[in-house]
Amino acid sequence: MANDRFDTPKKPVALDVTDLNNFVYDMSRCIKCKGCYWVEHTYMPGVRFSTRCPSNVWNDFDSYGAFGKMRIGTALAEGKLQWTPKLLEIIYADPLCGACDVGCKRNLDLEIELTLEAMRIKAVKEGAGPMPAHKKVAANISKEHNQFGAPHANRKKWITGDVKVADKAEVLYFPGCSASYRNPEIAQSTAKILNGSGTPFTVLAEDWCCGNTLYSVGMIDEARELAKRNVEAIKATGAKKVVTACAECYRMFKADYPKMLDIATADLGFEVVHILEYADEAIKKGSLKLTKPVEMRATYHDSCGVSRLCDPWTPWKGTRGWMGMVEPRLKRRRGRSGLYAQPRNILKAIPGVDYTEMIRIRENSFCCAAGRGTREAYPDLANSSAKHRLEEVREVGAEVLVSSCPWCKDNFSQAVKENGDKVKVMDISEVIAASMQA
Amino acid sequence: MAISKEAYNALESAVGANFISDDPAVCEGYRSGPGGYESGLGYERVMTTIPAVVILPRNTEEVQRIVKICNRYKVPYVPYSTGFYGPRSHCHVENELLVDLKRLNDYEIDEKHLYAVVGTGVIYSPFQQEAFNHGGYGIIGGGGAQASVIANLIGDGWSPLSHRVGLPHRRILGTELVLPDGEIVKMGSLAVGEDPFWGDGPGPDLRGLLRGFTGLRGCLGIVTKMAVKLLPFQPEKLEPTGIAPNTALALPPKRVKWINFQMPTKEAQVQGMVEIGHSEVAGAVTKVPLFWRAIAKAEDKEDFWDIWGKETEETIKNFHILRVLLIGFTSEEQMEYDEKVVNDIMAELGGISRPTKPSDESWLKNADSAGMWLMCGSYISVDYIIESLSQATKHGESYAEVKRKYTPPLMPDNGDPGWFQSFEMGHQGYSEFLIYWDQDEDTNGVDHFYLETSKMNIKERYYTSLLGPHQPMYLTGPKYGPNYHIFMLRVKDEFDPLWVCHPPVPLAHDEFVERAPWMKALKDWETPAEFPMPKW
Amino acid sequence: MRNKEQLEAIVGKENVSDAKEVLAKYSRDYSLVAPGTADLVVCPKTSEEVSQVVKWANENDVPVVPVSSQVHFYGCSIPKQGGIVVDLSRMTEIFEIDDYNRRVRIQPGVTWKQLTEALGKKGMRMIMPLLPPANRSVITDYLEREVPTNTVYDYGEPTQSFELVWPTGELFRLGSASVNGYPDSASKGANPSGPGLDFYRFLQGAQGTFGIVTWMNLKAEFATKIDKIYCAPIDDLALAQDFLYRVLPRRIGQEVVLLNNVDLAAILADDFDADFDRLRATLPAWSLIMIISGVRRRPEEKVAYEEKFLDQVMKNEFQKIKLVDTIPGFPGAGRKLIKMLREPWPEDKPYWKTAWKGGVQSLFFIARPVSTPLYVDIVSEVAARYGYPISDIGMYIQPIEHNRAAHMEFNFFHDPDDAAEKAVIGALYREAAQALMADGAFFSRPYGELAGMVYDRAASYTMALKRTKKVFDPKNVMNPGNLCF
Repeated sequence: MANDRFDTPKKPVALDVTDLNNFVYDMSRCIKCKGCYWVEHTYMPGVRFSTRCPSNVWNDFDSYGAFGKMRIGTALAEGKLQWTPKLLEIIYADPLCGACDVGCKRNLDLEIELTLEAMRIKAVKEGAGPMPAHKKVAANISKEHNQFGAPHANRKKWITGDVKVADKAEVLYFPGCSASYRNPEIAQSTAKILNGSGTPFTVLAEDWCCGNTLYSVGMIDEARELAKRNVEAIKATGAKKVVTACAECYRMFKADYPKMLDIATADLGFEVVHILEYADEAIKKGSLKLTKPVEMRATYHDSCGVSRLCDPWTPWKGTRGWMGMVEPRLKRRRGRSGLYAQPRNILKAIPGVDYTEMIRIRENSFCCAAGRGTREAYPDLANSSAKHRLEEVREVGAEVLVSSCPWCKDNFSQAVKENGDKVKVMDISEVIAASMQA
Repeated sequence: MAISKEAYNALESAVGANFISDDPAVCEGYRSGPGGYESGLGYERVMTTIPAVVILPRNTEEVQRIVKICNRYKVPYVPYSTGFYGPRSHCHVENELLVDLKRLNDYEIDEKHLYAVVGTGVIYSPFQQEAFNHGGYGIIGGGGAQASVIANLIGDGWSPLSHRVGLPHRRILGTELVLPDGEIVKMGSLAVGEDPFWGDGPGPDLRGLLRGFTGLRGCLGIVTKMAVKLLPFQPEKLEPTGIAPNTALALPPKRVKWINFQMPTKEAQVQGMVEIGHSEVAGAVTKVPLFWRAIAKAEDKEDFWDIWGKETEETIKNFHILRVLLIGFTSEEQMEYDEKVVNDIMAELGGISRPTKPSDESWLKNADSAGMWLMCGSYISVDYIIESLSQATKHGESYAEVKRKYTPPLMPDNGDPGWFQSFEMGHQGYSEFLIYWDQDEDTNGVDHFYLETSKMNIKERYYTSLLGPHQPMYLTGPKYGPNYHIFMLRVKDEFDPLWVCHPPVPLAHDEFVERAPWMKALKDWETPAEFPMPKW
Repeated sequence: MRNKEQLEAIVGKENVSDAKEVLAKYSRDYSLVAPGTADLVVCPKTSEEVSQVVKWANENDVPVVPVSSQVHFYGCSIPKQGGIVVDLSRMTEIFEIDDYNRRVRIQPGVTWKQLTEALGKKGMRMIMPLLPPANRSVITDYLEREVPTNTVYDYGEPTQSFELVWPTGELFRLGSASVNGYPDSASKGANPSGPGLDFYRFLQGAQGTFGIVTWMNLKAEFATKIDKIYCAPIDDLALAQDFLYRVLPRRIGQEVVLLNNVDLAAILADDFDADFDRLRATLPAWSLIMIISGVRRRPEEKVAYEEKFLDQVMKNEFQKIKLVDTIPGFPGAGRKLIKMLREPWPEDKPYWKTAWKGGVQSLFFIARPVSTPLYVDIVSEVAARYGYPISDIGMYIQPIEHNRAAHMEFNFFHDPDDAAEKAVIGALYREAAQALMADGAFFSRPYGELAGMVYDRAASYTMALKRTKKVFDPKNVMNPGNLCF
């Protein structure tokens, strides 16, 4: 040991959300800079639209921001806090959008997102969580394999006559619950994009929920079972690539399935692709031709699952020692893999689209707070977050709001209706499909 | 832990039920540590606790009402804008009310008269962007773009851009202060009307109550509104670029430019600052400590230690970078003039310009303080003092000397003598000494170091930021003024006879030394048998 | 008698006087404030003596009136409740001129003449208010926040740390001069702030009611290398302000002043009686005067870029503003003004403000520059009602820091021996002040009866100020009767 330092014993640590103790270091090093709350300072647009944490905008107490939750988490790990309805609200009124994780990791190495996930897993393990609305979703999935509790038998109703599904293909389309039941226009548009660019696709014989809500609210055991089932089912089809148009499903497959299964994304056995990636590449290749004008002044909302949250996963465990340094070296997920260029390339490639950016874009985007079980348990949080985001849409004078997730679409659509805004809400798949010749 | 039901009800009726809470989980969220500025140290462990109640007022009237209720029902309270400053801005006694001022976030700008009016909840980066949008700029304190503008202007408030106006005190215009007993003082032109454009007077200047060189940490009232001077900037846009964590402001090359000069010796580095100040050019002039460069390059903590591990006492001693910011306030020709003058000086002193990115990662808008915690997990600036270049350029060496004794627990840094720079065109100089440690180790040495530097400053006759509440007032008081502490305590007693505002500040560090057994050995100054303040 | 002896024991017999003619000198000044006489005049030489005198006064409940200048316009140093005058004019040391840190440390008796000459020898200068009297105390002018003519420095006030005697008699050093052992210390006194509280603020604008400053550190600047003067005749004040809003934020110029024909005539007149009326009649309504300078390095290039910018602005945006190198019709005035604006008023010439009628009552305040034409109208209207010819009013506008604000000053010249005229001026002054206040003029330095008007309006401030005063001067011995004390 050099005489200018302590001989710090090395403690085992892992990026394993089933044990909150793995994140005591991270929680105890939160400096309360609120980089988790504010738009990143370099991009700060001014006094309006200055934040990117829906939870802490919805409720001003510090406890509702990640910086407050880190302190609460420390107390939980030390067994110092009782589970109460208020504590559960603090933990669950939160779309886990990743803004805090990416904001913090601009400067530091703290695993904020994983900590928040670990807190929920602990809540469920100790019988306190999840929220009643989440338990209902879990029951629905258990019974009918979808979040809504709709009959499983109706899951493939979106496949209308003009949708060509192959029996076997390199590409498998995973619609997800929303596109299957609530937003068939997304599934149909996606199918059109795939078919219309010369890509045959197949689907699972039995499409089940990806388990997004289960995982997100801390029901990791149930979620893991679904993950195993879905991965095996996909591998069994022989497909090499899974395409989805739902940002939540995308994030699950890309990041949370490998996390739960303790494997790397690259070892899933298939590539995970969002329709954004697919379409962008297909346009560049020339296989997807967008020639029909779509006249609109449009803006784009960076859905969380395809922006901050989709860095690929690599399992890691090791030790932490002097000055908190970890071994072996760990390349942290800082949100750099977000699909930012793709939607913009696509929209700018469509004739007639007058594209304008929102004020908070890319990793600074303000989550609509619908996803990951949030809208079910906290409809007011989702509604007010969407309305807050719509102020920005009005500010930039857009007529059409485009996003990449059915949860965003539904949430914004409801808010638009309540506001009486003259704004149309569309999914990117619909916009692309509209620009394809029939 | 509770306050009386009557007090709670009165407070609730002041703000509405949605903006007050005594829930344990809500209050836990307002704990100071374990992480943060000055975190994990003795002061935090011994002197801080969580609030019994948290309240979120919206405006000055609500703040005043809250303070008066606290006086009536004897509820100690602490004003809190972001909580970023660490333990000294958090609750210190049991059954305390934390007044979270984040909802005081109104903002107005008068572009023509170069000021903006802010509430306590407004932080620097939006303030700065609005300034940019209106042809001005402010000085974002080293605390970072996330600091409350008001809290920073009454606490600290300087940066390399202070080359032009060093003292933040000179940037404060019309101000509203709710005194500890609930009376309101409106200062400057606000004293006589609604227009906050001017800050002096009327007559004797009560802005003297807002702060000292460093702040009062909220023990002499709550500032709810302040008009802040903007300085005229240049007209081109600074565009943000990149995706986190690699973001930066792209600078318009003919109007804003950083240049790093490698100087042959420390003397040349200092002389460069002096000459640039005397020549009345440039927008910022600062030394760059070697390890900030390592932080900027490092991908993560482990990477930092790889890079830093390669440095030695020799490399530190021989690293003399002078970083200069040129701003074309008047015109492109003026920036060319500034650059020629700087180059003339560099030619005289042997300074060589290094390739410098045409962007700003820190100081113009994102003052990058959060990176200070990367290396070790804990950090504080021990001293950050505006004096003359004569003092500033020597000060760090005295610190480095004391620091050797306390490494570990302090971070091994090969005797780095800290940061210094020119302020107010060389009329002043600035030195700051930063220390880092891991709060999981034995941190008593850090507590000791802090006190030892206070004693070193007294012995070597340096002016220091470690005055007022920052170190024991009975240690520093007799040696500065002399007896500034007596006058300060008299002012405190006059305006807060109950000591209900953030007790026991400003005597909190004195208390800490009494309560913490490991500090006893260092106490070699006199204190009264009882500190002259009511007990909470 | 006992008092006199006790004070003589402190400062020496020859430095205490109760002679009638000596006391009379301190009993009145150029202001309209009613005369008042002290019982004794005491002239200390050292800080220690000042401290002992004040301690004595405090113990004996005797009012103390500190005086450092030899010429007074605002009535601050007229004893209002008797007591002793503490005249600091023996304290004339320039302790240090530190060109490395560009700092001077001086005693309160140091005058503008003394300091500008001493600095001039070292190639340095002070930022100055407009043409102060030669024997006016520099420290007093800065404590009283006289507004400098130089608009270009972002850091504003030159005040740095200082030493003072509190009303209770303690010697105290504030700012970075507070370190033990100063000036034999690493600290050079360049920071006025702290320790603990910004005590220095309480003494600014205090009219001697919070203590006596015994020495002060001040920022000094290097002398310029090249100076060029530009003057523009102005008949549209609003346009002139638009022009200043445009160019001053671009950091153009060193000294920039706006003077009306009356004030400028008084300033320019060589032989007052011969020249004043002619000048007053022929000078433009207003003159905008701007000095552009080259400083230490590449001075010609600095002047060149400022001139280029000004040329472009005038050509493209302000064709009606015509800046030339002198006052049109007054050859040599330009060169003369450059010299004048960098020096105090020569002591062998009658002071420009009192040369005409012997007395002057100045009404000044801080204003938004855009409002200055309105304030001209307001004052003109009030003056007309009192029969005071508008053409007799001196007017001066001093832009402050990039024209974020302005000091505006109206000078009412009068015969100090004419009681009736003084009564008219007094009434006019009061009414004009009230009208200006109602329209946003900010009287940050409320002298004489302005104090009552301002402190009545500033209720919360007044209360807090009195409480603060009570902390430092529980017996109210330090210049009682000024401000709200």
